[in-house]
Amino acid sequence: MENKETFEENLKKLADIVLELEKGDVPLEKTVELYGEGVKISALCRNQLESAKIKITEEK
Amino acid sequence: MPVITVTQVNKYIASKLKSDRILQGIMVKGEITDFICHYKSGHCYFSLKDKESTLKAVMFASAASRLKFQPEDGMSVVASGSIAVYERDGVYQLYVNDVIPEGAGKASVALEQLKKKLAAEGIFAEEHKRSLPYMPKKIGAVTSLSGAAVQDIINVLSRRYPLCELYTIDALVQGEAAPMSICQGILKAEAAGCDVVIVGRGGGSSEDLSAYNTEAVARAVYNCKIPVISAVGHEVDFTLTDLAADMRAPTPSAAAELASPDISQLREYINGYERRCEKAAMAAVEKKLGTYNSLSAKLSAQSPENRLKLMEERLANLQNRAETAVKRNFDRCSAQLAEKAAKLDSLSPLKVMARGYSLVYKGDDLVRDSADLTVGQEITLRFDKGTATAEIIDVNGE
Repeated sequence: MENKETFEENLKKLADIVLELEKGDVPLEKTVELYGEGVKISALCRNQLESAKIKITEEK
Repeated sequence: MPVITVTQVNKYIASKLKSDRILQGIMVKGEITDFICHYKSGHCYFSLKDKESTLKAVMFASAASRLKFQPEDGMSVVASGSIAVYERDGVYQLYVNDVIPEGAGKASVALEQLKKKLAAEGIFAEEHKRSLPYMPKKIGAVTSLSGAAVQDIINVLSRRYPLCELYTIDALVQGEAAPMSICQGILKAEAAGCDVVIVGRGGGSSEDLSAYNTEAVARAVYNCKIPVISAVGHEVDFTLTDLAADMRAPTPSAAAELASPDISQLREYINGYERRCEKAAMAAVEKKLGTYNSLSAKLSAQSPENRLKLMEERLANLQNRAETAVKRNFDRCSAQLAEKAAKLDSLSPLKVMARGYSLVYKGDDLVRDSADLTVGQEITLRFDKGTATAEIIDVNGE
């Protein structure tokens, strides 16, 4: 899954989607769209988290 | 002249010495000799001596356990305490409550003064402490790259928070050049765009922490534009660096933990969001479905089929009621009929004849009076069963 966003940005996006959905006055089409996106981003976050490897750089 | 006891002499001298304020709370400089630490009680016995004289000293276990070094014979020290008499042996001695190495004495005074000065400037003030970022992208570590500290930090971060970048900056942690090296390291971490920086070293209680007690390092930590976590690796003493830092950690590993969120918590966040996302979406769909269902029910109630069906039902109902009513009427009528018929039956002349009465006819006329008859006249007798013809023999009027 190719994605330029950082984990933190994606987590923020996911949180925003959840808050939008929880407002409850979203049209049905938008609800389905948001839900789909939420599922996608949460999978992305999980993937980013599990595949992350610490990057170590040394000051020269 | 009165005679007094040994005990009285010693008690008197003890009280004399005790009341002499010059001998209370004194600091005595000398070299330790004949040092013995009693293995069972932990009390320490020794003498302090200089070129001309010696002084007996005792340090009880409670005070001895607070010492940060092991006193030995030949050590030049400053012992603080009070002079008192040990009455049993008739000796006076110094009851020691603290011992500092002589050279260290000056340094510790200087350090205390420096601490006071920096505190007065607000370098250690709580309100200057910044909170640490929850998810730092880049964590700086200013420490000796040949020490264990950096590996400890890498281990902790790999386990807890592999999303971050660790920027390591090699610094001297002891020796004369150390303070400058640490200060530069802090500036480099700041310049490299780190979100938080760990400043410290590994090591035990006997390590030389003096670099972290310099004014330069304390100020560099205070002036650093990003939050600083100190990890000087000493459980007991707080260095000036610890006091100036935004957060103090006892070890580099602990500092790395403070600097990073735990991956399991991040997983929990994702799971939580996912659950809420699903719940909210389901609720939204369900709500709309509910509206649809209720409207659809209302609509189908108004459909021609439905109305026809309703009317059919009403018709059937009316039919039913009509039938019932008709049947009830019929039943009532037939009951009445049966009753009347029974009554009629009981009045029938045939019934009377069955009891033995007969009718007398003259031709077709029923005879009700004997005066209507004449002798020799032919009459017909009618019985319940059958008839007979007879002739009048005699007529009697009543």
